[in-house]
Amino acid sequence: MYLRLLRTSVFCVSLVGGVFSFGLAHAEVSIKGKSMNPDISANFLGLWQQGTGISNTRTTTSHNGFSLQEAELQLTSDVDPYFRASVLFAISQTAGSTEFGIEPEEVFVETLSLPSFTVRAGKFKMALGKHNMLHTHAFPFIDAPLIHERLLGGEGLNEVGVSAAALVPTPWYSEFTAQVFNPSNETFYGSSSSSSLGTVFHWKNLWDLSDALTLEVGLSGSHGKTAADQSAHLWGSDITLKWRPSEGGKYHALIWTTEYLDGTHAELATTTSGDAQNRLNGIATWIQWQFAERWWLQGRYEHLGLSENFAIPSENRESLLLGYFPSEFSGLRLQYDLLSTQNKLKDDHRIALQAVFSIGAHPAHAY
Amino acid sequence: MKRNSLVLLAFFGCMSLAHARLQVVATLPDFAALTTEIGGEWVDVKSIAKGTQDPHFIEAKPSFMRVVHDADLVIANGLELEVGWLPSILRGARNPKVMEGNPGFLDLGASIQALDIPRGSVSRADGDVHASGNPHYNLDPIRMGDCAQRIADRLGQLDASHSQFYLDKAVAFRKRMIEKTKAWTARIKASGVHQVVTYHKSFTYFFNRFGITSPAMLEPKPGIPPTSTHILEVIRILRDQKVPLILVENYFDPTVTERIRQDLPSVRSKTVAIQVGGDPEIKTYDDLIEKLVQAVESASGRGRS
Repeated sequence: MYLRLLRTSVFCVSLVGGVFSFGLAHAEVSIKGKSMNPDISANFLGLWQQGTGISNTRTTTSHNGFSLQEAELQLTSDVDPYFRASVLFAISQTAGSTEFGIEPEEVFVETLSLPSFTVRAGKFKMALGKHNMLHTHAFPFIDAPLIHERLLGGEGLNEVGVSAAALVPTPWYSEFTAQVFNPSNETFYGSSSSSSLGTVFHWKNLWDLSDALTLEVGLSGSHGKTAADQSAHLWGSDITLKWRPSEGGKYHALIWTTEYLDGTHAELATTTSGDAQNRLNGIATWIQWQFAERWWLQGRYEHLGLSENFAIPSENRESLLLGYFPSEFSGLRLQYDLLSTQNKLKDDHRIALQAVFSIGAHPAHAY
Repeated sequence: MKRNSLVLLAFFGCMSLAHARLQVVATLPDFAALTTEIGGEWVDVKSIAKGTQDPHFIEAKPSFMRVVHDADLVIANGLELEVGWLPSILRGARNPKVMEGNPGFLDLGASIQALDIPRGSVSRADGDVHASGNPHYNLDPIRMGDCAQRIADRLGQLDASHSQFYLDKAVAFRKRMIEKTKAWTARIKASGVHQVVTYHKSFTYFFNRFGITSPAMLEPKPGIPPTSTHILEVIRILRDQKVPLILVENYFDPTVTERIRQDLPSVRSKTVAIQVGGDPEIKTYDDLIEKLVQAVESASGRGRS
């Protein structure tokens, strides 16, 4: 009894000590604000679209007319001096229904105090290229590139696993990331065995060509099992030139990104052809030009099916976007797309207007 | 053989000497200039932002992460000024020495007496307001004297062998600022300029120190670009209160003042650097304040006297 009391009091003291030191460590913090609560923010994406190739059925997730494309609720905070946690729930329409579902889009902890390394565990967007890591509200266009949608599905490659990213000791910025996950992607991977492991690697390099201009080059690859337990793999490369002058940088910027993605998957097109081995690849290249403080004009060209593959028709899409951002926290984007599909006589057109809003904690932007 | 090892020894000796210099990264060029003066030959100092850039909107370039990765000390302005970019750079740098709460991270804003602290709740409807107060204290030479002291203390903590050197330099800087502030105050008083309109609230501490008031901003709200109706209101204020001078921080578009000068040709409008390096002639913190005092003097004899 006495011993138990002693143990309890020791526990209490260490608990109080822990809380106290937590308070001390964070008492002076002001670069992120003063509160001990997690940073809470929410994003809303409202969409109106009208397209010749788009469904009029309201239960289809991407349909003509008005829709709440997605709402995201994000909570982030340092857990203690060693870890940071981020939780992001996405609320979007459930396929085949007019109801909305809530999904944990990203839930992870990552290390803060390891030298040269960041280790992350949880559910997160895998480091396959550049676009796959973006949240919907940060997409450069209203939708993801065609090749990403076709190979990885609407959610992208967003899996449960562990990641380690190391800063390589080179004179330029070079980061190598290795990730292991349970493949459960809606389109590409999907092994029913929970002991089946998938891998992703990503090598990101960035050079400052001048004070205003950076060049980023990335290479990535991934391997895993399909729903029928067959081997499948992906590889990709990305190149980005980003210009923002150090004088007048509030008013002008130019970004040119090109991303290539290539997937080999035994069951990719069984529905159309029954070919044993199938490969689908595509390229997307886009330019984003900030021509005034609040205005962006953007163009994108995409080609799906670079290598001849008769099972899957090739597609071309051209998109034009005009964006108006009253502040960092709000934006309106108008996008026009022209989609031409091989063996299809008529081209598809789409016009879409999207409203983007975010409220709550000020986000720290990624470059 | 012996000569070879001597050469090697000399080489490694140089390497370790080069390495012995503290690597400091300041978020803003003014703190970099201060640290260079205090640290002298014992520190290598780099600044993330340039003097020509708006410090609210610096991009978290991975190349900055590379630089912070090798740093012994990161010096930040704080008061939420760097909230949109510094946390990303610190995380990406993967350098535990400079994470918040460790001796390698110095938040100068945490110890200064802030102005413009909003009362009650803050809302984004008021624009880009900072809950902890106005973050632009870099234009007050007296507060920067206090900052010099804190920088010296921290450098001394990280490199005890030169702590006296750092302290002496900081004391000298502080004394010089107190002396110069007296002279600057006298000159501004003599200029007869009591009111100045600016683009953003970047001058709050400068005006507070030198006895100037600011009856309007060109921005209708902090961070919100000027609108034509607001500019008409500013013109009315300038005319009614006989304000002689408009100062536009050099990272904002000054063309908005053309409309004002058409209506009020007597009002002087100047584009000014508000950080070290914002203009090629501004190499030190003293140059920065000197130039701003000259800008105020340039409107002497105009408006209300």
